[in-house]
Amino acid sequence: MTETYAGATRGAPTRPGAGRPRRQGRAGYLFLAPSLLFFTVFLILPSLFAIFLSLSQWGGYDLTQITFIGVRNYGDILNFDSTFLSPILVNTLLFAALSVIPAVAGSLLVAQCIERLRFQGFWRFLYFLPVVATVVAIGNVWKMMYQPSGLINGILNMLHINSIGFLSDPTAALPSVAVVQAWASIGSAVLILTAGIKAIDRTVYEAAEIDGANSWNTFWGITLPLLRPSLLFVFITQCIAGMQSFALIIVMTKDGGPANATNVAAFEMYQQAFRFGAWGTASAMAMVLFVIIFVATLIQLWIGRRAGEDD
Amino acid sequence: MARGNRRHRPPWLSYTLVAIGGVLMALPFLDMISSSFKGSGEYGILPYHFLPDSFTWSNYAAAFDQLQLGRLFLNSVIVTLTVTAAVLVTSAMGGYALAKLRFRGRDVIFRFVLATMMLPPFLLLIPDFIIMLNWPLTGGNNILGQGGDGGMTTSIVSLMLPFLVSGFGIFLMRQFMIGVPDEMLEAARIDGAGEWRLFYNIVLPQTGPVAITLGLVTFVSQWNEYIWTSLIASTNPDLMTLPVGIQLLQSFIDPNRTTPIVMAGIIISTLPVLIIFLFFQRYYVRGVMLSGMK
Repeated sequence: MTETYAGATRGAPTRPGAGRPRRQGRAGYLFLAPSLLFFTVFLILPSLFAIFLSLSQWGGYDLTQITFIGVRNYGDILNFDSTFLSPILVNTLLFAALSVIPAVAGSLLVAQCIERLRFQGFWRFLYFLPVVATVVAIGNVWKMMYQPSGLINGILNMLHINSIGFLSDPTAALPSVAVVQAWASIGSAVLILTAGIKAIDRTVYEAAEIDGANSWNTFWGITLPLLRPSLLFVFITQCIAGMQSFALIIVMTKDGGPANATNVAAFEMYQQAFRFGAWGTASAMAMVLFVIIFVATLIQLWIGRRAGEDD
Repeated sequence: MARGNRRHRPPWLSYTLVAIGGVLMALPFLDMISSSFKGSGEYGILPYHFLPDSFTWSNYAAAFDQLQLGRLFLNSVIVTLTVTAAVLVTSAMGGYALAKLRFRGRDVIFRFVLATMMLPPFLLLIPDFIIMLNWPLTGGNNILGQGGDGGMTTSIVSLMLPFLVSGFGIFLMRQFMIGVPDEMLEAARIDGAGEWRLFYNIVLPQTGPVAITLGLVTFVSQWNEYIWTSLIASTNPDLMTLPVGIQLLQSFIDPNRTTPIVMAGIIISTLPVLIIFLFFQRYYVRGVMLSGMK
């Protein structure tokens, strides 16, 4: 449409609207100017600076003291003696898996059940509550519940089970925090999956019902395959969040303890920079984590597409 | 037979599962509320008891007192409202240009805006902080950004700056504005209206629903922002917002004394977001579904 219109006006210089495209062009840049300026100062420049810093040694303060050292920072963090590979990167992947798998499985179950119930709004509100709460609220409430004198150990003691040091026992600490991450993120997953289930054509279910399929069959045969795009979306976004989030870990453990048990890559980057002043090392960690998240996302997309072709 | 029955009988299994999950979702909030009413010496003792023995409001009074909630509240309000307004304005302007104006490089810019959404925030944390420290002519810095003590981090502006523009917001506005009929704009253009008038008088008034959604998502995430603000406020306590101030109190020495006060503070600080959420749940929910993430 627009093409033919532009073509029709060509060669008619006396038309009043002849200067329009150029005027639109200038307006376009003006409308975008604030955003582009922002992206330049707070996105492009910082990204380039981060890459440069990851190849440098710097103790902070004086910008003239930055010395270029090549890939040495990467060598320091990516060798088998470094704590960055193990336990920190291992923790990062474990934390993501331990939070994403329960959140996705739980939200799938809830989304599947919730659409048969009355008072759907109330139930969804309940599951969604943590999404609007600050990480400081969530982290501190769960930290309180995890205490020896807290709610969860209180229930365990009532059942004559010994108290568990959820945040002080090195083997329990990481799963304990991951559970909170799952708890906090289940609400948005429920929303997206509920919408996905609602979008499935009812007639498919009716046809299956006539063929004598029970609800177990329809779930595996119809709901799950047709829900795949929503599921993939939820899974990928939650994985990305799980691999990079560390606010909950700061709030609940302060230093990634006990003894690095809850230390993850983004948090180690934060500590190296802002607590130990090793800005170059920290930037290299940020780059490595970025690449890992990027590659993991591509793999998930690829597996998701492959699974789609098999159907 | 079994088929027919399922339709008439309430789905008890579904009710049970969702209700058990619902209890797990609600329990932390109930424990938080209950703890905020526990008197001194009553919290942190064994065995655990859920309800407070002696119901008291003193933790709320202490929260206002010890946390200086008033000042934290003011900072939170200033930062959140400024960021929300800025995101709305820049997203609407950028969205309009990408949806309705034809100019060279538009598609490249659009793709760039999409790409900005994939950049994880942790990657920019370090360089953005260094940029703030070396911001020219702030906090005693000279024109080259050197020599001062803290640079932009001495000002409340540094809490807002990295959040003023949102790639997601521009994208959302663009997708919505594409639906505005071109004929309407062409007619106004022929009548001689400038692009700003078209934007302000024709397109902007139609963006109500999507603006509410974007405004809410931005408001809630900024109200709850913790990492960046805690970094800036670690050198300048005057700039603390509600989450940062509450977390600082939490880290004081005697958790058995402070925890009930912290819970009271958390409840007070969550109320504004909760009230807004209750009124605009529909819009907020749509925003979360569009963004896929918090």
